[in-house]
Amino acid sequence: MSADRITQDVERGEPITIVIDGQQVACFAGETIATAMLAAGLDAFRTDQRGKPRGLLCNMGSCYECLVTDIATGRRIRACLAPAADGMEVSTRG
Amino acid sequence: MADRIECDVAIIGGGPAGQAAALALSGHGLSIVVIDEQPRPGGQILRQPPARFAVRGWLEERSYRPLKQLLGRFQALDDIHWLGSHSVIGLQRGSVMAMGPEGVTTVTARHILIAAGCHDLAVPLPGWTLPGVYAAGGIQAFIKGQQLLVGNRILVAGTHPLQLIIAAQIVAAGGSVAAVLFAQPRSAMVAALARHPLAALRRVPDLLATAAALRALARAGTPIHFGTSLEALIGTDRVSAAQTSAGTINCDAVGLCYGFVPQSALPRMAGAQMRPSGPAGGWACGHDDFMRTSVPGVSAAGETTGVAGAAAAAAGGALAGIGIALDLGLISLEAAEHAARTPRRDLAQHRAFAALLDAVADPRAYFPAPSADTIICRCEDVEQATIAAELPVCQSANAVKLATRCGMGACQGRNCEPSLLRMMAKAGNVPETGFTPRFPARPVSIADLLPPQ
Repeated sequence: MSADRITQDVERGEPITIVIDGQQVACFAGETIATAMLAAGLDAFRTDQRGKPRGLLCNMGSCYECLVTDIATGRRIRACLAPAADGMEVSTRG
Repeated sequence: MADRIECDVAIIGGGPAGQAAALALSGHGLSIVVIDEQPRPGGQILRQPPARFAVRGWLEERSYRPLKQLLGRFQALDDIHWLGSHSVIGLQRGSVMAMGPEGVTTVTARHILIAAGCHDLAVPLPGWTLPGVYAAGGIQAFIKGQQLLVGNRILVAGTHPLQLIIAAQIVAAGGSVAAVLFAQPRSAMVAALARHPLAALRRVPDLLATAAALRALARAGTPIHFGTSLEALIGTDRVSAAQTSAGTINCDAVGLCYGFVPQSALPRMAGAQMRPSGPAGGWACGHDDFMRTSVPGVSAAGETTGVAGAAAAAAGGALAGIGIALDLGLISLEAAEHAARTPRRDLAQHRAFAALLDAVADPRAYFPAPSADTIICRCEDVEQATIAAELPVCQSANAVKLATRCGMGACQGRNCEPSLLRMMAKAGNVPETGFTPRFPARPVSIADLLPPQ
């Protein structure tokens, strides 16, 4: 399943594309990386020590469950805070 | 990269408390920096949609009106340096370190206000690390800001009445709520209300908002169950059902709503006196009658001083602003005392209501039971049994941390500290403090801390 964008009474920014683990993900300017991923059905932000997929918890920058890597800078960023930018490449694999 | 900003007042948090403080301080010719992790002001209560979005009829419910007016006045200020998308990682007298997308900025200030808000209490139970399981406030923030519904059949469960408002917002956004589960029986909630009749009467609009939420959920046919507790969340790669005391409920997302705890990392790092917060746990920053903490030059307001809601935060922020104006010599004590009368009265009233809400929402008797292999510390994957094995020999939260890595991860113990302290209390050891706060409050790369070359 995937998360659903609320469309009634909402205008988003222009359509953009980001790349998650090599996969092209269509989203909109203004969306966070987390929103882009969830709307595309990608709800695993990392794999834990047991090899299990892990989702994000708090969506406010506190829990650090949504840390992903911005490939261009090498920075670890919180997907729930970081805005998606056209062409941005992100890895959930550390 | 490391930048520097010098200012008179640094305000940490752009929610109602920070906004009200900035408004109280504006017009005195001060340089004021307001720092927030979100790109836009509003706090969690008014998580604004991105600037690139246009949302018609955003948060039109009546209860948000005064807060939207406050936000509008704050956004109209032209003498504020807004430092959005920055996380404060360090704080000491006269100086704040903030990490942004491009690196670290050091803000030196004559006075600092911590108005850092609160966060959802993280509540461990079997299956809670599955994707699709959220803090209920996270689901609400997705709706308010990003205009996203995280599932097609969302289960909301816990003990806090806010979950009724969140469920109603999901339904209003076109989503479907599998059920709203209150772990406590309805009689316990009614009894708590009856013990605080005056506080309840003074806050009729809030009770009306809850009543409106109940009506909306009834219209949508959403089941609301009392005395029904979560036992486990079930799924393989993501959550697909919840096992409850009243049977299995299918769902594709879960919002856990057992209460809220103050963001306490910064006042603790600064060495401010703290006290236990409400029944949900956590630590609240102590303050005097002008919202000064025990650390000179550092004030606190809003949920950092105890979770009491947005209206209390706005009152506390205004009071803090008046106190800072007094301390900076901009107004006389007499003028400050006069100006403080209204926000002090408001703060006391809102806190009385918060005490009522605390009693109604008290999760302590209703926490789900983690199993031996339930992860308590999500960052370091520390299981319940691993911690339980250390409790007979570890006398402090720090000792458990050293023995098990519980609390040593990226979140700095925010998620697991209340769970650990509850486990310790159950084992007969009620620690006076939690983990020792460490710099940085948020992970930062060494390169970002180095001075510019």
